Amino acid sequence: MREPNAIDFWRGLALVTIYVNHIPGNTFERYTYSQYGISDAAELFVFLAGWSIGIATRGRDGQPEPRLKSVLRLLSRTIEVYRAQITTMAIALAMIAGTALILDNPLLLEWHNAGGFFADPIQTTIGFVALTHQLGFFNILPLYVVLLGIAPIFILIARVSRIAALVLSFGLYSASLVFEWNLPSWPGEGDWFFDPLCWQLLLVLGFVAQDLNQRSGTLRRWSQRLMPLGVVIVVLGIVLSVFDLRPDPLLVPDPRLVFSFDKTYLSPARLIHFIGVLLAFQGVYALIVPHIGAIGRYLAGLGRNSLAVFSIGSLLSLAAQLVRFWTGGGLLVDVGAMGFGLFALGFTAWFVEWRSRKPRLS
Amino acid sequence: MALAQTSALLISLGLASLGTISGSSRAGAEGSATIVSPPTAAAPAPGGEASEAVDVSLSPECRVPGSKLYTLARLSSVKAALKEKRPVRVLAIGSSSAGAGASATYPVKLETALERSLPNVDVEVESRGMQGEIASGAAERLRSMVAEVEPDLVVWQVGTHDALARVDLDAFASVLDETVQWIKSHEIDVVLVNPVYTASLAQDEYYSSIVRKVQEVALREGVPLVQRYEAMRYLSGSSDKGEAHMLGRQFRLNDLGLRCMAEHVTRAITLSLLQPDPSATGTATAPSVIVAPPKDAAVKPPSPPRSGGASLQEQP
Repeated sequence: MREPNAIDFWRGLALVTIYVNHIPGNTFERYTYSQYGISDAAELFVFLAGWSIGIATRGRDGQPEPRLKSVLRLLSRTIEVYRAQITTMAIALAMIAGTALILDNPLLLEWHNAGGFFADPIQTTIGFVALTHQLGFFNILPLYVVLLGIAPIFILIARVSRIAALVLSFGLYSASLVFEWNLPSWPGEGDWFFDPLCWQLLLVLGFVAQDLNQRSGTLRRWSQRLMPLGVVIVVLGIVLSVFDLRPDPLLVPDPRLVFSFDKTYLSPARLIHFIGVLLAFQGVYALIVPHIGAIGRYLAGLGRNSLAVFSIGSLLSLAAQLVRFWTGGGLLVDVGAMGFGLFALGFTAWFVEWRSRKPRLS
Repeated sequence: MALAQTSALLISLGLASLGTISGSSRAGAEGSATIVSPPTAAAPAPGGEASEAVDVSLSPECRVPGSKLYTLARLSSVKAALKEKRPVRVLAIGSSSAGAGASATYPVKLETALERSLPNVDVEVESRGMQGEIASGAAERLRSMVAEVEPDLVVWQVGTHDALARVDLDAFASVLDETVQWIKSHEIDVVLVNPVYTASLAQDEYYSSIVRKVQEVALREGVPLVQRYEAMRYLSGSSDKGEAHMLGRQFRLNDLGLRCMAEHVTRAITLSLLQPDPSATGTATAPSVIVAPPKDAAVKPPSPPRSGGASLQEQP
């Protein structure tokens, strides 16, 4: 178990934010930072995933591990994430179906894209396993599977030249924005909620930033100098979201995705805002950690075990949605859902670490 | 006999251009200043078992009285597409069922039904499931979808996810208002479809309010509405099997339910196309109406519409 650090802390915060934001309509939604900016926790999560790959594929001495080992490590992680996605989706579908039966309410079967699974099981089963049929709120892990799957390409290129990796990544991102490339949904029309061809840029940025950061102080110096710019961007983001100011996607010039605020394609506005957030908050962890004690340890614990916490969090937020529907919601239910959820996320993190420490029972 | 009824109904609709057939549906009439004109020509004699005739242009198992089924309003962009003889692009949003790849789904059924009702017109239906609540963010994604597809008409099944999340009713209505206004401001037509009826939610005050909010917004914004809730309630009441009729043994929306919805949406669109154009003046030509056998009710958009009807259907 590693000591609490900034990366785990922020990832923990992203996990809690995602949990809260995945219970739409709940009282606490308006207190998450996603409501006060153009980008949200998803960007942070993917960027930190890239950063963590940088840490994981390098030895304690900072030297990169052998190439084959890195590739196998990423493959193994891809399988873990895929397994988590299939398991959580299966449980989620059963939760939806079970609640629909108990409440005698077929409306629930139409929950965020689940309808296809119940109405068209033959095709949708294939889409479910192939990750091309995604439930609403269960679409980050499919993105993550694809990103980890293609990560070895970027990482091996970056071993030779970081610039080449960045150019390739940025080129793919720009082309996807201009030509609207995305992976298709199937069955059903439309595309993936998170376009991996665009979002890979954040993963590569995270990886390269970690690399630069541990090699020399240049990146750190420059990001400290640019902090005021970050603050300006964050303030601008707050103003734009509070007053709900955003470009009209039918009025922006072509290519429209470059100018609109689009989450699926990680529009430049979201990317710039996210980089602003990074610049503005880079030093905040060191400032606040002495004062927040247990909260810091709690969030870092979540961040250390992000896959398990994210999976349980997805199911808990679905459960909270179902309970809110069942009971009609209200402040009491929201407080209960939040309290129980935060406890259960913490327990999940603790339990995963306990399991890895204890000898197996059988 | 069925044929005669259909002709009578269609002719009565066409000649008089009666406009908004909202009316006796209890919630639909709320706050509306529109003239209620049930298709009396086709109604059975007083004392008959039904208070209002069902719409016989629909398949027998989908038949619902017009007033339970829709409120109408003008669809000028679709009309323009028809006039220019170009394909009509329809974006169906929020359908629960899958599209391409799956066999006979709602978008496919909708396209078939629309092409049957509008002979010699090429209709292209694109469908998108929408994740999330319009009261929290999904309205923004709808704008992206519309920008991507650039349709002539958006058929928007709305309210289910917001109802499931029990979002604030006023927040829901105001975002829906804004979004419909936005779509219309780009000269794209909108047809709203309200959420499904299900017996277990018949007493749910909140759920009825969501259904009502969709109706209110449709009236306020002057867009056609398919009253899926009322239609399903009517059908579930009229069948011995109750709700099973629409929802199947495992109470999911079965093939029949989706086909009825496609027919209901088509009916609302074709009748809305008969709405006279407010800008047109003078000429007293009756809209040309092609009467086809039941199930294949073919309605052509009016050539220069009759001015007499215009005063009847002005939206508030």
